[in-house]
Amino acid sequence: MNKHASHHACPDAYPADAAAAADSPGRRAFLRRSGQLALTGTALPFALNLAAMGEAAAFDASDYKALVCVFLYGGNDYANTVVTYDDASYNSYATIRGGSGQAGGGIAIAKSALAPTLLTPTTPLADGRQYALNPAMTALAGLFNSGKAAVQLNVGPLVVPLTRAQYGSADRRTYPLPPKLFSHNDQQSVWQSSAGEGATVGWGGRIGDLALSSNGASTFTCISATGNAVFLSGQSALPYQVGTSGAVAVNAIKSNVFGMAAVQGTLSTLLQQSRGHVLENEYNKVTARSVAAEVQVSAAIGGSSTLTTTFPTGNGLADQLKVVARLIAARGALGTRRQVFFVSMGGFDLHGDLMTQHPVVLGKVSEAMAAFYNATVEMGLADKVTAFTASDFGRTLASNGSGSDHGWGSHHFMVGGAVRGKAFYGTAPTVSIGNSATLPADQSHVGQGRLLPTTSVDQYAATLARWFGVADGELNGILPNLSHFGSASYPRDLGFMA
Amino acid sequence: MTDLETITKPALSDASTAVARPVDGASTTRPALKRTWLAASVAAATAALEACGGGGGGGESPAASAASGGSPATGTGGTPVAGSSTPTEAAGGAAGPLAQSRTFTAPANDFDAARFLLQAQLNASDADIASVRASGYAGYLSKQFDTAGGTTAWDWLNQRGYAAIDANNFYDSTYPADFAVWRQLFTAPDGMRKRVALALSEIFVISTTGITVTWGSHVVAAWWDMLSANAFGNFRKLLEDVTLHPAMGLYLNTRGSLKENAAGRQPDENYAREVMQLMTIGLVKLNADGSVVTSGGVPVETYGQTDVTNLARVFSGYDFDMSGNVNTLVSGRNISTTAFAQRPMVLNAANHSTLDVNFLGTTIAGSTEGNAARKLALDTLFNHPNVGPFIGRQLIQRLVTSNPGPAYIARVSAAFADNGKGVRGDLGAVVAAVLLDDEARDPAGTTSGTFGRLREPMLRLVQWGRTFGVTSTAGSWKIYDQSAPGQLGQSPLRSGSVFNFFRPGYVPPATAIASAGLVAPEFQLVNETTVSTYVNFMQNAARFGLYSSGPDLPQAASSSANGYDMAPAYTVEKTLLTNAAALVARLNLLLAAGQLSTATTSLIVSALNTVNVTTTSTDAVRTARMGAAVLMVMASPEYLVQK
Repeated sequence: MNKHASHHACPDAYPADAAAAADSPGRRAFLRRSGQLALTGTALPFALNLAAMGEAAAFDASDYKALVCVFLYGGNDYANTVVTYDDASYNSYATIRGGSGQAGGGIAIAKSALAPTLLTPTTPLADGRQYALNPAMTALAGLFNSGKAAVQLNVGPLVVPLTRAQYGSADRRTYPLPPKLFSHNDQQSVWQSSAGEGATVGWGGRIGDLALSSNGASTFTCISATGNAVFLSGQSALPYQVGTSGAVAVNAIKSNVFGMAAVQGTLSTLLQQSRGHVLENEYNKVTARSVAAEVQVSAAIGGSSTLTTTFPTGNGLADQLKVVARLIAARGALGTRRQVFFVSMGGFDLHGDLMTQHPVVLGKVSEAMAAFYNATVEMGLADKVTAFTASDFGRTLASNGSGSDHGWGSHHFMVGGAVRGKAFYGTAPTVSIGNSATLPADQSHVGQGRLLPTTSVDQYAATLARWFGVADGELNGILPNLSHFGSASYPRDLGFMA
Repeated sequence: MTDLETITKPALSDASTAVARPVDGASTTRPALKRTWLAASVAAATAALEACGGGGGGGESPAASAASGGSPATGTGGTPVAGSSTPTEAAGGAAGPLAQSRTFTAPANDFDAARFLLQAQLNASDADIASVRASGYAGYLSKQFDTAGGTTAWDWLNQRGYAAIDANNFYDSTYPADFAVWRQLFTAPDGMRKRVALALSEIFVISTTGITVTWGSHVVAAWWDMLSANAFGNFRKLLEDVTLHPAMGLYLNTRGSLKENAAGRQPDENYAREVMQLMTIGLVKLNADGSVVTSGGVPVETYGQTDVTNLARVFSGYDFDMSGNVNTLVSGRNISTTAFAQRPMVLNAANHSTLDVNFLGTTIAGSTEGNAARKLALDTLFNHPNVGPFIGRQLIQRLVTSNPGPAYIARVSAAFADNGKGVRGDLGAVVAAVLLDDEARDPAGTTSGTFGRLREPMLRLVQWGRTFGVTSTAGSWKIYDQSAPGQLGQSPLRSGSVFNFFRPGYVPPATAIASAGLVAPEFQLVNETTVSTYVNFMQNAARFGLYSSGPDLPQAASSSANGYDMAPAYTVEKTLLTNAAALVARLNLLLAAGQLSTATTSLIVSALNTVNVTTTSTDAVRTARMGAAVLMVMASPEYLVQK
């Protein structure tokens, strides 16, 4: 069910000072481009539209906001993360996953183990449906039940709304599918950019494009505290990568080398100069960015955290979120008002050992996200920072004996003071691996319990982007498939952001 | 004997008499190539390759042809010269990596030889450069195909006591595998085989990090030895060995995969999917030149979810071969012997799917015996037309250049399809095709603005170690997993996932690489942190070597012997220390095949000369110059991009 099915325009979606925005360079460029677009019609290549829209949507924010994407690499097993709990659906789940009634077994979690993490939404779900979180996720369950977190049910990449019958249709013109479903690398890319591997523009970066003019130092608009990801690349915005201890200096450029100042100077030249060879030149550009940014970041965040919030140790995701919190705390020194962050954790591709490994990684996600939320409270920014999860795909509901296989739709979390928490959004999928073409209970999946998404990533992203400050009219330029959604069942605004 | 294919470019340099390369002694005669030359420059030569490698796979045989003319011939003609039609001989029907005839320019100087060596293997030594110049590229390759590999990773683990069941819990440790593999890469005499094995480890990916089983180090060592053994063998056997290897069984879950049951349980799909997507055919249909087959403007996908689900049935029912195992009870836990780690997994028919398998147009009846079903399935994959371009392109990317032209891929695909003796999947022939291709050898690559590839961090470190005689004084080779971004940033067999450290199609966003429509796989590892940590890592290594904690101990423990156990010898380089220009020239040759420009070497030499070094300078002054020289070369972009 959609808690807020109707379009919900958010006042914060527009620049605080409309007059200033109207005079901004971005706004003037938009007017010019609008004219060009009008002259040439709307049949421009998508990329060109994007480029035009990039200038169009630039906004100048006066307050601070951040989006933090927590990417769960490997494809998270939805069924053991947000676990169906009411007796009817739990019993189906347990049977399918090889359990012995409510005692669990196979890859089904015992029902009794779920009671402490039962989610208690303000408005109960239809049909008596209930969910609990994996028993390892007590911290996140607490945030949900205290109104600081929400769950988006069954979200995944879609080009257009689809029924199971339409998924099986041979008419791919009318019912196009996202490219290369069930493939890790491609679905990671599709989640982040709406296109398969090789994409160069992600929606985090596109949102960053619009925010560049809000920031004194544009380098720090899009920041990854983990590896490279297309999510943060825009038309203009470049991802900046930071280590979990902060920026890493090139020692040989920062200080003399073995006492030889000339070596330091030579390396500074060699490693940052323009090169004729395209690979050499791009490599040097990264080094030059690294050297310049390190000076600013190190000065801004200092040698250690000034936050008193405790982050868990031995938790790589927490390490990443901690440095994100430190960068947010340094927003004044860094001159940033709008930032998009990317952090990640691996270990979710659990074809096997699901019952032993999954609680370990989910527990880390839960602890890390809760600590991060606490840090935003400490900074007085709880309602200015929103973290959300994403993953390659969900997995099968069916068991392979010790784990589950690649799927599609999945359940995800939104955490922060601006999230309309203690609530589920989207539609609770039926619990079934049946393949009847007519039984309603069998229509939530496309085989073996691979969920057919009932909410698209574009809707999910649009809801977050709108809160961040992107105007409604500019969302279609960021999210290429969003224009295919907007009905009451597939709203442009899912309503989970205040 | 099948097609005789001559690969020529219309405007190669100048003329020479074709030189027949080693041919098996007992042989039949066949006509060799004829090619027309367009004169351009002097000092280039060609070699028309005929077969080597007889059925016995013995050593190099003397040339048995009547070809006249010695190796690297020169010609000076200003007009087109017709190449001679030279009768040559070949082994009757025998397969061999160099069976396919080919022409290319011969090394004209040390830079050419070093460039070839740095594509083909892990480093370029003085001896190897001399050998390439004396034997020609093909002659050198033919020797490498037969070079013995020395102690295997498996044997080294056992020699070092890592099979012992004692308080060190080696059976639960994975670091011995890191030591064993790094040691091989630093010291193995068959550098070309190891380079190709490393490339294969980035296509057939397992990660030590994911091998969580008793004797995981032995499993990984056996995997590495298996890749090495198959590096120049047949792809079909490699595919078989990969499929049944305990490492793959563990990493992609075929070990213990069970057949379907009434509750809806299904065989594990992990290996079935990835063996298609990553190890054989890929996601979309390819032409022989690597271009994508489209229908109505849309790429044609090779398989769907149904194919995956069906193929997964073939891989159900496998588990370790524990025959003859003897358990040792340790604190209430049974520790097995290591033998299983080296043996192919075995089929338990009771756990093998009984359903029919329909995938990629092949039908395997559910009643088919499991091993026979696997053979049919792997044959289907092996014979798919995608394999040549899919694997060939990736081997080109790992060895030579990130963006090979379609004709280059097509020539390598052709070598995969037929090694010149009617054999499909001869990896030696594929490697030869990759390395001997005109596009790889063309000097234009060194001045192109796009040719080449970013050297991987692990290859940089290994190259440094082999070039400068790094050895573990204590013999313990305690180089741990280096993949953390604060370390080297990459470590062999330590990828984060089955998708390798980087993807063959990775496009660094918002770069001129992207706008030019190019890919740069290794750039997936490049960001503001890793560019810094690499230089920091090398700054220390170049001067002092690699630090070892407890080099006198096999286990992960510190001792009074802590120190730079793996220090560079710099034997020849030390003799050049007082002459910065000569030192840098040597580093440029050995590390970068002379690809550092004069502008760069001048800058480096000037920086070094700001501190005078004489034969009486202190050790500190001398090691500082050596370290600074090596660091500046190995940090410079002209070194980092292998061209």
